[in-house]
Amino acid sequence: MRKRIGVPRALMFYKYYPFIKGFLEGCGCQVVASPPTDLDILEEGTRSCVDDICVAVKVYFGHVRFLVDKVDAILVPRLVSVERRRHDTFTCPKLIAAPDMLRFLPGGLPPVLEWVVDLRRAPWWWGCLRVARRLGATPCQAWEAYRRARRDQERYERLLGAGMLPEDALAVMENGGNPSQGGEGPGGEGPREGFPLAGGERVTVGVVGHPYLVGDRLLNKDLFHWLSRGGARCLPGTAVPAWQMERELGSLPELSWSYERELLATASAFLGRGDVDGVIYLTSFGCGPDSMVMEMFKREVLKGRDKPFMEIVLDEHSAEAGVRTRAEAFVDMLRYRSGRRGGGRRV
Amino acid sequence: MRIAFPHMGNACIPLRALVEELGAEAVVPERPNAETLRRGIRHAPEFVCLPFKVTLGDCLNALDQGADTLAMVCGMWACRFGNYGRLQHLILRDLGYRFRSLLIGREDMKAALEVFVAGLGRRFYARIPGALAIFRAKASAVEEIERWARWMRPRDTRPGRADEEMSRYLGLLDEAGSVRGVWELRRRFREEAGSLPAGEEEVLRVKLVGELYVLLEPALNFDLVGRLGRQWRVEARPVLSTYRWLLGPLWLDPRIQLSGWRARRRARPYLPYVLGGEEHMTLSGVLNAPGEGCDGVIHAYPLTCMPENICRTIIPGLAEGARLPYLDLCFDEHTSEAGVETRLEAFVDLMRARREKRALRKDKSRTSPPARFSGASTAPPVSVAACSGGGRGA
Repeated sequence: MRKRIGVPRALMFYKYYPFIKGFLEGCGCQVVASPPTDLDILEEGTRSCVDDICVAVKVYFGHVRFLVDKVDAILVPRLVSVERRRHDTFTCPKLIAAPDMLRFLPGGLPPVLEWVVDLRRAPWWWGCLRVARRLGATPCQAWEAYRRARRDQERYERLLGAGMLPEDALAVMENGGNPSQGGEGPGGEGPREGFPLAGGERVTVGVVGHPYLVGDRLLNKDLFHWLSRGGARCLPGTAVPAWQMERELGSLPELSWSYERELLATASAFLGRGDVDGVIYLTSFGCGPDSMVMEMFKREVLKGRDKPFMEIVLDEHSAEAGVRTRAEAFVDMLRYRSGRRGGGRRV
Repeated sequence: MRIAFPHMGNACIPLRALVEELGAEAVVPERPNAETLRRGIRHAPEFVCLPFKVTLGDCLNALDQGADTLAMVCGMWACRFGNYGRLQHLILRDLGYRFRSLLIGREDMKAALEVFVAGLGRRFYARIPGALAIFRAKASAVEEIERWARWMRPRDTRPGRADEEMSRYLGLLDEAGSVRGVWELRRRFREEAGSLPAGEEEVLRVKLVGELYVLLEPALNFDLVGRLGRQWRVEARPVLSTYRWLLGPLWLDPRIQLSGWRARRRARPYLPYVLGGEEHMTLSGVLNAPGEGCDGVIHAYPLTCMPENICRTIIPGLAEGARLPYLDLCFDEHTSEAGVETRLEAFVDLMRARREKRALRKDKSRTSPPARFSGASTAPPVSVAACSGGGRGA
């Protein structure tokens, strides 16, 4: 019988899921991803996790709790360092210690498959090999699975690069070309087009944030839906092309957190682009790296640029009405600005 | 060159000696207080950890006192502390202050040395050995005096005397001008402190683990260590000390490296990777507490501290396995003294009741099973309310 491996749909799921899925299936396992976050999962996570940690980790706990009695093992990535540089680089400590935090999860745990990514010490492939060995796959099988997983991941990244949201891109990957069916507002191919409004003005909003906030509709309270309802075209941060990222990264201060540095570069790229009218930065309450990086961003990157910028802080108490109000006000303001400048792009 | 550095416990005594011996002038801002914190909060990011806000307030105070160089440690770590200096100096420059940054870190030692050379000239290199000698002497003297005070407070026959003696000797130490003078003072201290009468009654012992700054800065933790000793006759044993923090990175005392290495080994089954903070000391402190005869563990950390939050998800499981009472105290700018005091009082009552119960059991010559770790796999499900004394959140 094929082993069922659970993958919690939280934290870096939205960045690496196609890779994980391709690899595990190549190793002869059945992959069970937890469903998109709902209120039960959020509540379960809030209950089983410590109280002053960021909401993303609480949701992660909720997803793990959901999977506990449904799978034979749970894959928990341990992302220590995801790039090689002159100095040490890290991800957030909560990603480094994810398997350790789950150790004393109330209610017990099935076996945990640790997928260690520590590029300071060993290449990407090494962590995969260790997972494969624990699953009982031969190195040859593992190599085949790895190549397949890389192909899937590249395809996924191409879809994200075209301006799709993680959720839609995953649906395209699953359904072989069809974007998510059903649902009234969200969905659609390419960047989500705003509803044309009476005024005819169409503005573009760049949305920057960690993949677990951008990808999770419950956590970001359907921000993308409300933005496009307001008549804006949304561009997630993953849509910034690689060459532009490289250029931005070169001019940024050195940081030890790789993902945050990437976000900084994305936000900076959006600020410099003529076709983006405003930038929204999503962050979760109590996010350690973001609390510092945002301040550096405001003081070093944002200063002197004439572009509207809004920071939205999310936590488990965020309400949809709050996010919706702010999104609508932001879009209105952008439209007013572009109308007044007279340079607004007409549809 | 007027160098200033933020406060942390009594670290200002050895640091001031170091700076002055190097040939610069040391600017020591006033001890952190409510006003310092208020100034820091006004300019710091919203949910950055509390030490950032306090040290930012310290820097502001120091700049107002005429400092022209701000010293801070920095590094490429996963913990936020590595970026403190850079961000604080950015904020201060935006406020219009002019000063030189002295960011001391392994990644860019050259820049730090250049700042020194620019301010003091090349002769400063020749002064380094002498400066380090007096720095080490004063740091270890501070450590000895603090350790004595921690031991003496709960056993004091006249309440408050230990604190008086400690502040008197720390004042003398601050004035001592040479290594020989420091040694002379330590000899006198040992004689005089050793002759003070100590009470015979049994004291409770509690292990203090947690984030470095909150643990060591009495202004921030409402004098946790002193209060436990004076008010409830509890001997506090912090796993961290100023001495350890100051001398560890300089490799001036191999015992520090050794204990750090042992702590990492002890904590490795629960936390195999480095997170950049003092997480290994926290976990090994909890693991070692029963073997050292401690009656409980207090875990103190600032709100949103990343390494300590991760420890907090692990500690309940460890404490439950060892049947060890533990209390977590989360500090931020809204934490009130009364809240901390109430929780500490309840926790001390809990520990005292447990100890009395154990003594009673011993009288009936029924030996209780030794407190020992049963290991992670056999640990029962965690119920925090049962062992934490209700200390959730701030």
